[in-house]
Amino acid sequence: MEPILELSGLTKVYPGGLKALDDVDLTIRKGEIFALLGPNGAGKTTLIGAVCGLVRPSSGTIRAFGHDLATDWRKARARIGLVPQELSTDMFEPVKRAVSYSRGLFGLPPNPARIEEILRSLSLWEKRDERIMALSGGMKRRVLIAKALAHEPDLLFLDEPTAGVDVELRKGMWAIIDQMRARGVTIILTTHYIEEAEEMADRVGVIRNGQIIAVDEKDALMAKLGRTEAHIALAEPMQTLPPVIAQLPVEIEQDGMSLCYRGGDGTGRGKAEVADLTKALTHAGIDYVGIETRESSLEDIFVSLLGENAQ
Amino acid sequence: MIAWRSTWSIYKRELLRFLRTAFQSVLAPVLTTTLYFIVFGAAIGGRMPDLGGVDYGAFIIPGLLMLTLLGETTSNSSFGIYMPRFTGTIYELLSAPVGVAETLIGFVGAAMTKSLILAAIILATARFFVDYSIAYPLLAVLYIMLVAAAFSLFGFILGIWADNFEKLGIIPMLFLTPLTFLGGTFYSIDMLPAPWDTIALANPIVYLVSGLRWTFYGSSDVNIWVSFGITLAFLAACTAVIAYIFRTGWRLRA
Repeated sequence: MEPILELSGLTKVYPGGLKALDDVDLTIRKGEIFALLGPNGAGKTTLIGAVCGLVRPSSGTIRAFGHDLATDWRKARARIGLVPQELSTDMFEPVKRAVSYSRGLFGLPPNPARIEEILRSLSLWEKRDERIMALSGGMKRRVLIAKALAHEPDLLFLDEPTAGVDVELRKGMWAIIDQMRARGVTIILTTHYIEEAEEMADRVGVIRNGQIIAVDEKDALMAKLGRTEAHIALAEPMQTLPPVIAQLPVEIEQDGMSLCYRGGDGTGRGKAEVADLTKALTHAGIDYVGIETRESSLEDIFVSLLGENAQ
Repeated sequence: MIAWRSTWSIYKRELLRFLRTAFQSVLAPVLTTTLYFIVFGAAIGGRMPDLGGVDYGAFIIPGLLMLTLLGETTSNSSFGIYMPRFTGTIYELLSAPVGVAETLIGFVGAAMTKSLILAAIILATARFFVDYSIAYPLLAVLYIMLVAAAFSLFGFILGIWADNFEKLGIIPMLFLTPLTFLGGTFYSIDMLPAPWDTIALANPIVYLVSGLRWTFYGSSDVNIWVSFGITLAFLAACTAVIAYIFRTGWRLRA
Protein backbone atom coordinates (compact mmCIF):
# COMPACT_ATOMS: atom_id res chain seq x y z
CA MET A 1 0.00 0.00 0.00
CA GLU A 2 1.10 3.57 -0.72
CA PRO A 3 3.22 5.09 2.09
CA ILE A 4 1.81 8.30 3.53
CA LEU A 5 4.54 8.94 6.09
CA GLU A 6 8.16 7.81 6.07
CA LEU A 7 10.56 8.33 8.95
CA SER A 8 14.17 7.51 8.28
CA GLY A 9 16.92 7.52 10.88
CA LEU A 10 14.87 9.91 13.00
CA THR A 11 16.80 10.85 16.12
CA LYS A 12 16.03 13.37 18.82
CA VAL A 13 18.46 14.19 21.59
CA TYR A 14 17.16 16.75 24.08
CA PRO A 15 19.55 19.43 25.42
CA GLY A 16 19.96 17.48 28.69
CA GLY A 17 21.31 14.56 26.71
CA LEU A 18 18.19 12.40 26.80
CA LYS A 19 17.89 10.43 23.56
CA ALA A 20 14.13 10.36 23.08
CA LEU A 21 14.25 8.94 19.55
CA ASP A 22 17.05 6.70 18.43
CA ASP A 23 17.41 6.12 14.69
CA VAL A 24 13.73 5.45 14.10
CA ASP A 25 12.69 4.03 10.73
CA LEU A 26 8.96 3.76 10.21
CA THR A 27 6.57 3.76 7.27
CA ILE A 28 2.86 4.41 7.62
CA ARG A 29 0.54 3.26 4.87
CA LYS A 30 -2.38 5.19 3.48
CA GLY A 31 -5.71 4.45 5.14
CA GLU A 32 -4.45 2.33 8.01
CA ILE A 33 -4.81 2.70 11.75
CA PHE A 34 -1.38 2.36 13.28
CA ALA A 35 -1.06 1.97 17.03
CA LEU A 36 2.20 3.02 18.59
CA LEU A 37 2.59 1.28 21.91
CA GLY A 38 5.14 1.96 24.55
CA PRO A 39 5.57 2.69 28.22
CA ASN A 40 5.71 6.24 29.57
CA GLY A 41 8.81 8.06 28.36
CA ALA A 42 9.39 5.63 25.48
CA GLY A 43 9.35 8.41 22.86
CA LYS A 44 5.78 8.21 21.53
CA THR A 45 4.92 11.88 22.03
CA THR A 46 8.36 13.00 20.81
CA LEU A 47 7.82 11.03 17.61
CA ILE A 48 4.46 12.72 17.06
CA GLY A 49 5.96 16.10 17.95
CA ALA A 50 8.74 15.63 15.40
CA VAL A 51 6.24 14.96 12.60
CA CYS A 52 3.86 17.74 13.65
CA GLY A 53 6.50 20.45 14.05
CA LEU A 54 6.54 20.65 17.84
CA VAL A 55 9.94 19.03 18.20
CA ARG A 56 13.07 19.71 16.17
CA PRO A 57 14.67 16.42 15.15
CA SER A 58 18.41 16.13 15.81
CA SER A 59 18.90 14.08 12.66
CA GLY A 60 17.03 11.93 10.18
CA THR A 61 14.34 12.71 7.65
CA ILE A 62 10.56 12.84 7.71
CA ARG A 63 8.59 12.63 4.51
CA ALA A 64 4.83 13.06 4.53
CA PHE A 65 2.77 12.72 1.34
CA GLY A 66 6.07 12.76 -0.53
CA HIS A 67 7.12 16.13 0.93
CA ASP A 68 10.27 16.50 3.00
CA LEU A 69 9.15 18.14 6.24
CA ALA A 70 12.45 19.98 6.61
CA THR A 71 11.96 21.91 3.38
CA ASP A 72 8.38 21.48 2.22
CA TRP A 73 6.70 21.62 5.61
CA ARG A 74 3.81 23.85 4.64
CA LYS A 75 2.34 21.42 2.12
CA ALA A 76 2.81 18.47 4.43
CA ARG A 77 1.49 20.11 7.60
CA ALA A 78 -1.63 21.34 5.82
CA ARG A 79 -2.68 17.68 5.54
CA ILE A 80 -1.77 16.56 9.07
CA GLY A 81 -3.99 16.86 12.13
CA LEU A 82 -3.04 16.45 15.76
CA VAL A 83 -5.08 15.68 18.83
CA PRO A 84 -2.74 16.24 21.76
CA GLN A 85 -2.68 14.23 24.93
CA GLU A 86 -3.38 17.23 27.17
CA LEU A 87 -6.69 19.07 27.01
CA SER A 88 -5.01 22.15 25.59
CA THR A 89 -7.42 24.68 24.21
CA ASP A 90 -8.66 28.17 24.96
CA MET A 91 -11.25 27.30 27.58
CA PHE A 92 -13.04 30.65 27.27
CA GLU A 93 -13.79 30.19 23.58
CA PRO A 94 -17.15 28.84 22.36
CA VAL A 95 -16.95 25.42 20.69
CA LYS A 96 -17.91 26.44 17.16
CA ARG A 97 -15.62 29.44 17.11
CA ALA A 98 -12.69 27.34 18.32
CA VAL A 99 -13.25 24.76 15.60
CA SER A 100 -13.72 27.41 12.91
CA TYR A 101 -10.48 29.07 14.02
CA SER A 102 -8.60 25.81 13.53
CA ARG A 103 -9.89 25.56 9.97
CA GLY A 104 -8.84 29.11 9.19
CA LEU A 105 -5.43 28.64 10.84
CA PHE A 106 -4.72 25.85 8.39
CA GLY A 107 -5.51 28.19 5.52
CA LEU A 108 -8.94 26.86 4.51
CA PRO A 109 -11.88 29.14 3.67
CA PRO A 110 -14.83 29.17 6.08
CA ASN A 111 -17.22 26.28 5.58
CA PRO A 112 -20.04 26.40 8.13
CA ALA A 113 -21.67 23.27 6.65
CA ARG A 114 -18.47 21.27 7.12
CA ILE A 115 -18.02 22.57 10.68
CA GLU A 116 -21.61 21.61 11.45
CA GLU A 117 -21.03 18.13 10.02
CA ILE A 118 -17.94 17.64 12.17
CA LEU A 119 -19.66 18.91 15.31
CA ARG A 120 -22.70 16.73 14.70
CA SER A 121 -20.55 13.66 14.09
CA LEU A 122 -18.93 14.24 17.47
CA SER A 123 -22.24 15.01 19.21
CA LEU A 124 -21.12 18.57 19.88
CA TRP A 125 -23.59 20.51 17.77
CA GLU A 126 -25.93 21.17 20.67
CA LYS A 127 -22.98 22.59 22.60
CA ARG A 128 -21.67 24.74 19.74
CA ASP A 129 -22.22 28.06 21.50
CA GLU A 130 -21.02 26.96 24.90
CA ARG A 131 -17.65 27.87 26.26
CA ILE A 132 -15.27 24.92 26.25
CA MET A 133 -14.66 25.33 29.98
CA ALA A 134 -18.32 24.44 30.62
CA LEU A 135 -18.02 21.04 28.93
CA SER A 136 -17.22 17.69 30.50
CA GLY A 137 -13.77 16.14 30.10
CA GLY A 138 -14.99 13.78 27.39
CA MET A 139 -16.58 16.61 25.45
CA LYS A 140 -13.43 18.70 25.73
CA ARG A 141 -11.49 15.84 24.18
CA ARG A 142 -14.04 15.65 21.39
CA VAL A 143 -13.61 19.39 20.81
CA LEU A 144 -9.89 18.75 20.33
CA ILE A 145 -10.74 16.05 17.80
CA ALA A 146 -13.15 18.43 16.04
CA LYS A 147 -10.41 21.08 15.89
CA ALA A 148 -8.00 18.55 14.42
CA LEU A 149 -10.57 17.48 11.83
CA ALA A 150 -11.60 21.03 10.89
CA HIS A 151 -9.00 21.28 8.14
CA GLU A 152 -9.88 17.84 6.78
CA PRO A 153 -6.51 16.17 7.34
CA ASP A 154 -5.49 13.02 5.51
CA LEU A 155 -3.25 11.96 8.38
CA LEU A 156 -4.37 12.28 11.97
CA PHE A 157 -2.31 11.81 15.10
CA LEU A 158 -4.18 10.88 18.25
CA ASP A 159 -1.90 11.08 21.25
CA GLU A 160 -3.43 8.94 24.00
CA PRO A 161 -6.98 9.77 22.82
CA THR A 162 -8.67 7.90 25.64
CA ALA A 163 -6.28 8.67 28.47
CA GLY A 164 -8.23 9.19 31.67
CA VAL A 165 -11.68 8.66 30.17
CA ASP A 166 -14.19 6.09 31.35
CA VAL A 167 -14.93 2.82 29.56
CA GLU A 168 -18.15 4.04 27.94
CA LEU A 169 -16.52 7.16 26.57
CA ARG A 170 -13.53 5.15 25.41
CA LYS A 171 -15.82 2.94 23.34
CA GLY A 172 -17.51 6.05 21.96
CA MET A 173 -14.06 7.33 20.98
CA TRP A 174 -13.30 4.08 19.20
CA ALA A 175 -16.50 4.52 17.19
CA ILE A 176 -15.38 8.02 16.22
CA ILE A 177 -12.00 6.70 15.12
CA ASP A 178 -13.79 4.07 13.05
CA GLN A 179 -15.82 6.80 11.36
CA MET A 180 -12.65 8.67 10.51
CA ARG A 181 -11.08 5.57 9.04
CA ALA A 182 -14.22 5.07 6.94
CA ARG A 183 -13.65 8.56 5.53
CA GLY A 184 -10.18 7.49 4.43
CA VAL A 185 -8.19 9.26 7.13
CA THR A 186 -4.95 7.55 8.07
CA ILE A 187 -4.67 7.40 11.83
CA ILE A 188 -1.67 7.03 14.08
CA LEU A 189 -2.61 6.61 17.70
CA THR A 190 -0.43 6.25 20.70
CA THR A 191 -1.81 4.43 23.64
CA HIS A 192 -0.85 2.40 26.59
CA TYR A 193 -4.26 0.73 26.61
CA ILE A 194 -3.38 -2.48 24.82
CA GLU A 195 -7.08 -3.24 24.53
CA GLU A 196 -7.41 -0.12 22.42
CA ALA A 197 -4.73 -1.20 19.96
CA GLU A 198 -6.17 -4.70 19.88
CA GLU A 199 -9.62 -3.31 19.10
CA MET A 200 -8.69 -0.66 16.54
CA ALA A 201 -5.30 -1.09 14.93
CA ASP A 202 -4.38 -2.63 11.61
CA ARG A 203 -0.72 -2.50 12.49
CA VAL A 204 1.12 -2.13 15.74
CA GLY A 205 4.51 -0.66 16.52
CA VAL A 206 6.22 -1.02 19.85
CA ILE A 207 8.66 1.66 20.97
CA ARG A 208 11.07 1.40 23.89
CA ASN A 209 13.81 3.83 24.87
CA GLY A 210 13.30 5.71 21.61
CA GLN A 211 13.74 2.64 19.44
CA ILE A 212 11.06 0.84 17.47
CA ILE A 213 11.49 -2.76 18.58
CA ALA A 214 8.61 -4.33 16.67
CA VAL A 215 6.34 -3.30 13.81
CA ASP A 216 3.89 -5.66 12.24
CA GLU A 217 0.30 -6.32 11.30
CA LYS A 218 -1.58 -6.74 14.55
CA ASP A 219 -2.73 -10.24 13.57
CA ALA A 220 0.75 -11.20 12.36
CA LEU A 221 2.32 -9.93 15.58
CA MET A 222 -0.11 -11.94 17.61
CA ALA A 223 0.48 -14.96 15.39
CA LYS A 224 4.24 -14.59 15.69
CA LEU A 225 4.41 -13.93 19.39
CA GLY A 226 1.05 -15.22 20.61
CA ARG A 227 0.81 -18.27 22.85
CA THR A 228 -1.82 -20.66 24.15
CA GLU A 229 -1.80 -21.66 27.77
CA ALA A 230 -3.88 -24.61 29.04
CA HIS A 231 -4.21 -26.02 32.53
CA ILE A 232 -5.66 -29.51 32.86
CA ALA A 233 -6.68 -30.57 36.36
CA LEU A 234 -6.08 -34.33 36.77
CA ALA A 235 -8.29 -36.72 38.74
CA GLU A 236 -5.24 -38.65 40.01
CA PRO A 237 -1.68 -37.34 40.51
CA MET A 238 0.84 -38.01 37.73
CA GLN A 239 4.58 -38.47 38.36
CA THR A 240 5.93 -38.78 34.80
CA LEU A 241 4.57 -37.75 31.43
CA PRO A 242 3.62 -40.54 29.04
CA PRO A 243 5.90 -40.42 25.92
CA VAL A 244 3.11 -39.31 23.58
CA ILE A 245 2.42 -36.33 25.83
CA ALA A 246 6.06 -35.57 26.53
CA GLN A 247 6.47 -34.61 22.84
CA LEU A 248 4.29 -31.56 23.53
CA PRO A 249 5.33 -28.48 25.57
CA VAL A 250 3.69 -29.80 28.71
CA GLU A 251 4.82 -29.64 32.32
CA ILE A 252 3.55 -31.31 35.47
CA GLU A 253 2.47 -28.83 38.12
CA GLN A 254 0.87 -28.77 41.58
CA ASP A 255 2.51 -32.02 42.72
CA GLY A 256 1.24 -33.95 39.77
CA MET A 257 -2.36 -32.78 40.04
CA SER A 258 -2.19 -30.51 37.01
CA LEU A 259 -0.69 -30.44 33.54
CA CYS A 260 0.27 -27.12 32.00
CA TYR A 261 0.56 -26.64 28.25
CA ARG A 262 2.36 -23.52 26.99
CA GLY A 263 2.80 -23.37 23.25
CA GLY A 264 1.33 -22.50 19.90
CA ASP A 265 1.96 -19.40 17.84
CA GLY A 266 -1.21 -17.38 17.80
CA THR A 267 -2.47 -19.03 14.58
CA GLY A 268 -4.55 -21.65 16.36
CA ARG A 269 -1.80 -24.30 16.51
CA GLY A 270 -1.88 -24.08 20.30
CA LYS A 271 -5.58 -24.87 20.45
CA ALA A 272 -5.11 -27.84 18.14
CA GLU A 273 -2.27 -29.17 20.29
CA VAL A 274 -4.39 -28.79 23.44
CA ALA A 275 -7.08 -30.85 21.67
CA ASP A 276 -4.44 -33.48 20.79
CA LEU A 277 -3.30 -33.44 24.42
CA THR A 278 -6.78 -34.14 25.77
CA LYS A 279 -7.27 -36.93 23.22
CA ALA A 280 -3.91 -38.46 24.25
CA LEU A 281 -4.90 -38.29 27.91
CA THR A 282 -8.20 -40.03 27.18
CA HIS A 283 -6.43 -42.59 25.02
CA ALA A 284 -3.93 -43.28 27.81
CA GLY A 285 -6.78 -43.69 30.32
CA ILE A 286 -5.74 -40.64 32.33
CA ASP A 287 -8.80 -38.98 33.80
CA TYR A 288 -9.06 -35.22 34.16
CA VAL A 289 -11.62 -33.02 35.88
CA GLY A 290 -11.18 -29.62 34.34
CA ILE A 291 -9.60 -27.69 31.47
CA GLU A 292 -8.80 -24.00 31.38
CA THR A 293 -7.31 -22.45 28.24
CA ARG A 294 -6.21 -18.90 27.53
CA GLU A 295 -4.89 -17.22 24.40
CA SER A 296 -2.26 -14.55 25.01
CA SER A 297 -3.44 -11.00 24.38
CA LEU A 298 -1.57 -8.17 22.72
CA GLU A 299 -0.86 -7.04 26.25
CA ASP A 300 1.01 -10.27 27.01
CA ILE A 301 3.01 -9.77 23.82
CA PHE A 302 3.68 -6.17 24.75
CA VAL A 303 4.85 -7.16 28.21
CA SER A 304 7.08 -9.90 26.85
CA LEU A 305 8.59 -7.50 24.30
CA LEU A 306 9.26 -4.83 26.83
CA GLY A 307 10.16 -7.02 29.75
CA GLU A 308 10.38 -5.06 32.96
CA ASN A 309 10.10 -1.73 31.13
CA ALA A 310 6.45 -2.39 30.45
CA GLN A 311 5.51 -1.04 33.85
CA MET B 1 4.34 33.40 0.20
CA ILE B 2 2.16 34.49 3.10
CA ALA B 3 -0.88 32.39 3.97
CA TRP B 4 -3.33 35.26 4.40
CA ARG B 5 -6.26 33.14 5.60
CA SER B 6 -4.12 31.77 8.42
CA THR B 7 -2.89 35.28 9.21
CA TRP B 8 -6.45 36.62 9.31
CA SER B 9 -7.51 33.77 11.62
CA ILE B 10 -4.74 34.58 14.11
CA TYR B 11 -5.44 38.31 13.89
CA LYS B 12 -9.20 37.89 14.32
CA ARG B 13 -8.83 35.52 17.25
CA GLU B 14 -6.44 37.88 19.04
CA LEU B 15 -8.84 40.79 18.56
CA LEU B 16 -11.72 38.68 19.87
CA ARG B 17 -9.59 37.87 22.90
CA PHE B 18 -9.17 41.63 23.39
CA LEU B 19 -12.92 42.19 23.08
CA ARG B 20 -13.53 39.46 25.65
CA THR B 21 -11.81 41.67 28.18
CA ALA B 22 -12.92 44.93 26.55
CA PHE B 23 -14.33 46.35 29.74
CA GLN B 24 -10.99 46.05 31.49
CA SER B 25 -8.94 46.83 28.38
CA VAL B 26 -10.81 50.04 27.65
CA LEU B 27 -11.81 51.20 31.10
CA ALA B 28 -8.35 50.86 32.68
CA PRO B 29 -6.55 53.25 30.30
CA VAL B 30 -9.47 55.68 30.35
CA LEU B 31 -9.43 55.74 34.14
CA THR B 32 -5.63 56.01 34.32
CA THR B 33 -5.55 58.84 31.79
CA THR B 34 -8.34 60.64 33.60
CA LEU B 35 -6.42 60.42 36.88
CA TYR B 36 -3.25 61.74 35.26
CA PHE B 37 -5.17 64.65 33.80
CA ILE B 38 -6.81 65.44 37.12
CA VAL B 39 -3.49 65.31 39.01
CA PHE B 40 -1.01 66.65 36.49
CA GLY B 41 -3.28 68.52 34.14
CA ALA B 42 -5.64 70.30 36.50
CA ALA B 43 -4.10 70.24 40.01
CA ILE B 44 -0.42 70.77 39.13
CA GLY B 45 -0.71 71.88 35.53
CA GLY B 46 -2.69 74.98 36.51
CA ARG B 47 0.39 76.30 38.30
CA MET B 48 2.81 75.37 35.49
CA PRO B 49 3.91 77.77 32.76
CA ASP B 50 3.42 76.96 29.08
CA LEU B 51 6.16 74.75 27.70
CA GLY B 52 7.44 75.81 24.29
CA GLY B 53 4.23 77.75 23.82
CA VAL B 54 2.07 74.73 24.64
CA ASP B 55 -0.31 74.65 27.59
CA TYR B 56 1.00 72.16 30.18
CA GLY B 57 -2.20 70.08 30.06
CA ALA B 58 -1.80 69.69 26.31
CA PHE B 59 1.97 69.23 26.62
CA ILE B 60 1.58 66.00 28.60
CA ILE B 61 -0.87 64.34 26.15
CA PRO B 62 1.78 62.76 23.90
CA GLY B 63 3.67 61.52 26.98
CA LEU B 64 0.53 60.02 28.53
CA LEU B 65 -0.31 58.46 25.19
CA MET B 66 3.15 56.93 25.02
CA LEU B 67 2.96 55.76 28.64
CA THR B 68 -0.21 53.78 27.98
CA LEU B 69 0.84 52.73 24.51
CA LEU B 70 4.13 51.18 25.59
CA GLY B 71 2.67 49.38 28.58
CA GLU B 72 -0.49 48.09 26.93
CA THR B 73 1.17 47.12 23.65
CA THR B 74 3.95 45.23 25.37
CA SER B 75 1.64 43.42 27.75
CA ASN B 76 -0.98 42.61 25.08
CA SER B 77 1.58 41.14 22.77
CA SER B 78 3.53 39.28 25.45
CA PHE B 79 0.35 37.77 26.90
CA GLY B 80 -0.82 36.92 23.39
CA ILE B 81 2.06 34.51 22.84
CA TYR B 82 2.83 33.58 26.46
CA MET B 83 -0.65 32.27 27.26
CA PRO B 84 -0.68 29.67 24.45
CA ARG B 85 2.76 28.57 25.64
CA PHE B 86 1.57 28.40 29.23
CA THR B 87 -1.66 26.54 28.48
CA GLY B 88 -0.17 24.31 25.79
CA THR B 89 -2.46 25.58 23.03
CA ILE B 90 0.59 26.70 21.08
CA TYR B 91 0.74 23.16 19.70
CA GLU B 92 -1.93 24.19 17.21
CA LEU B 93 0.04 27.16 15.93
CA LEU B 94 3.27 25.16 15.68
CA SER B 95 1.63 22.26 13.87
CA ALA B 96 -0.20 24.50 11.39
CA PRO B 97 1.26 25.46 8.01
CA VAL B 98 2.11 28.95 9.24
CA GLY B 99 5.52 30.55 9.55
CA VAL B 100 7.06 33.63 11.06
CA ALA B 101 5.28 36.06 8.72
CA GLU B 102 1.76 34.80 9.45
CA THR B 103 2.44 34.57 13.18
CA LEU B 104 3.92 38.05 13.43
CA ILE B 105 1.37 39.78 11.24
CA GLY B 106 -1.41 38.02 13.15
CA PHE B 107 -0.20 38.60 16.69
CA VAL B 108 1.61 41.89 16.21
CA GLY B 109 -1.04 43.25 13.88
CA ALA B 110 -3.70 42.54 16.49
CA ALA B 111 -1.61 44.13 19.25
CA MET B 112 -1.09 47.19 17.02
CA THR B 113 -4.80 47.44 16.32
CA LYS B 114 -5.57 47.32 20.03
CA SER B 115 -3.01 50.04 20.62
CA LEU B 116 -4.52 52.29 17.98
CA ILE B 117 -7.94 51.80 19.53
CA LEU B 118 -6.49 52.67 22.93
CA ALA B 119 -4.71 55.72 21.51
CA ALA B 120 -8.00 56.94 20.05
CA ILE B 121 -9.75 56.39 23.40
CA ILE B 122 -7.04 58.27 25.29
CA LEU B 123 -7.13 61.18 22.86
CA ALA B 124 -10.90 61.30 23.14
CA THR B 125 -10.64 61.23 26.95
CA ALA B 126 -8.03 64.00 26.88
CA ARG B 127 -10.46 66.15 24.94
CA PHE B 128 -12.65 66.33 28.04
CA PHE B 129 -9.84 67.96 30.03
CA VAL B 130 -7.76 70.08 27.66
CA ASP B 131 -8.04 71.72 24.32
CA TYR B 132 -5.38 70.50 21.92
CA SER B 133 -4.70 70.18 18.23
CA ILE B 134 -2.41 67.86 16.33
CA ALA B 135 -0.03 69.63 13.96
CA TYR B 136 0.75 66.58 11.81
CA PRO B 137 -2.09 64.07 12.31
CA LEU B 138 -0.94 61.64 9.59
CA LEU B 139 2.60 61.63 10.94
CA ALA B 140 1.19 61.16 14.44
CA VAL B 141 -0.80 58.10 13.34
CA LEU B 142 2.23 56.76 11.47
CA TYR B 143 4.46 57.31 14.48
CA ILE B 144 1.98 55.68 16.86
CA MET B 145 1.76 52.69 14.50
CA LEU B 146 5.54 52.47 14.29
CA VAL B 147 5.94 52.56 18.08
CA ALA B 148 3.06 50.08 18.50
CA ALA B 149 4.68 47.72 15.99
CA ALA B 150 8.09 47.97 17.68
CA PHE B 151 6.70 47.33 21.16
CA SER B 152 4.39 44.59 19.94
CA LEU B 153 7.48 42.82 18.65
CA PHE B 154 9.26 43.58 21.91
CA GLY B 155 6.30 42.14 23.85
CA PHE B 156 6.31 39.09 21.59
CA ILE B 157 9.96 38.50 22.49
CA LEU B 158 9.14 38.92 26.19
CA GLY B 159 6.29 36.44 25.88
CA ILE B 160 8.63 33.86 24.38
CA TRP B 161 11.46 34.58 26.81
CA ALA B 162 9.32 34.45 29.95
CA ASP B 163 8.86 31.06 31.55
CA ASN B 164 6.68 32.31 34.39
CA PHE B 165 4.25 35.14 35.09
CA GLU B 166 6.78 37.03 37.19
CA LYS B 167 9.20 37.33 34.29
CA LEU B 168 6.33 38.37 32.06
CA GLY B 169 5.56 41.34 34.26
CA ILE B 170 9.02 42.28 35.42
CA ILE B 171 10.29 44.08 32.30
CA PRO B 172 7.26 46.35 31.85
CA MET B 173 7.06 47.02 35.59
CA LEU B 174 10.72 47.50 36.47
CA PHE B 175 12.07 48.98 33.25
CA LEU B 176 9.45 50.21 30.84
CA THR B 177 7.23 52.19 33.23
CA PRO B 178 10.11 53.91 35.12
CA LEU B 179 11.89 54.76 31.87
CA THR B 180 8.67 56.19 30.46
CA PHE B 181 8.10 58.32 33.57
CA LEU B 182 11.69 59.53 33.30
CA GLY B 183 11.43 59.92 29.53
CA GLY B 184 9.87 63.36 29.48
CA THR B 185 6.25 62.29 29.81
CA PHE B 186 5.47 65.10 32.25
CA TYR B 187 8.29 67.52 31.55
CA SER B 188 10.66 68.76 28.93
CA ILE B 189 14.25 67.53 29.11
CA ASP B 190 15.27 71.20 28.97
CA MET B 191 13.74 71.65 32.43
CA LEU B 192 16.29 69.25 33.96
CA PRO B 193 19.45 70.71 35.51
CA ALA B 194 22.87 69.65 34.18
CA PRO B 195 24.06 66.90 34.05
CA TRP B 196 20.61 65.24 34.23
CA ASP B 197 19.52 66.78 30.96
CA THR B 198 22.41 64.98 29.26
CA ILE B 199 21.99 61.75 31.22
CA ALA B 200 18.31 61.71 30.29
CA LEU B 201 19.31 61.36 26.64
CA ALA B 202 20.56 57.85 27.42
CA ASN B 203 16.95 56.89 28.03
CA PRO B 204 15.55 55.59 24.72
CA ILE B 205 11.99 56.45 25.74
CA VAL B 206 12.94 60.16 25.65
CA TYR B 207 13.22 59.88 21.87
CA LEU B 208 9.86 58.16 21.53
CA VAL B 209 7.98 60.70 23.68
CA SER B 210 9.81 63.53 21.99
CA GLY B 211 9.01 62.15 18.52
CA LEU B 212 5.31 61.88 19.25
CA ARG B 213 5.28 65.33 20.84
CA TRP B 214 6.79 66.77 17.68
CA THR B 215 3.99 65.30 15.55
CA PHE B 216 1.51 67.01 17.91
CA TYR B 217 3.06 70.43 18.36
CA GLY B 218 5.88 70.72 15.81
CA SER B 219 8.55 71.13 18.47
CA SER B 220 10.33 68.70 20.77
CA ASP B 221 13.44 68.04 22.84
CA VAL B 222 15.06 65.88 20.18
CA ASN B 223 15.17 66.13 16.39
CA ILE B 224 12.22 64.25 14.89
CA TRP B 225 14.44 62.29 12.51
CA VAL B 226 16.55 61.05 15.38
CA SER B 227 13.34 59.86 17.04
CA PHE B 228 12.19 58.14 13.84
CA GLY B 229 15.64 56.61 13.38
CA ILE B 230 15.77 55.19 16.90
CA THR B 231 12.23 53.81 16.62
CA LEU B 232 13.06 52.14 13.31
CA ALA B 233 16.33 50.76 14.72
CA PHE B 234 14.44 49.27 17.68
CA LEU B 235 11.87 47.80 15.30
CA ALA B 236 14.64 46.26 13.19
CA ALA B 237 16.42 44.85 16.24
CA CYS B 238 13.23 43.22 17.54
CA THR B 239 12.49 41.79 14.08
CA ALA B 240 16.00 40.31 13.93
CA VAL B 241 15.59 38.70 17.37
CA ILE B 242 12.23 37.20 16.38
CA ALA B 243 13.66 35.89 13.12
CA TYR B 244 16.38 34.18 15.19
CA ILE B 245 13.76 32.75 17.57
CA PHE B 246 11.76 31.24 14.72
CA ARG B 247 14.85 29.97 12.91
CA THR B 248 16.13 28.15 15.97
CA GLY B 249 12.77 27.39 17.62
CA TRP B 250 14.11 28.83 20.87
CA ARG B 251 11.52 28.27 23.63
CA LEU B 252 8.93 27.40 21.00
CA ARG B 253 9.88 23.95 19.77
CA ALA B 254 11.44 21.29 21.98
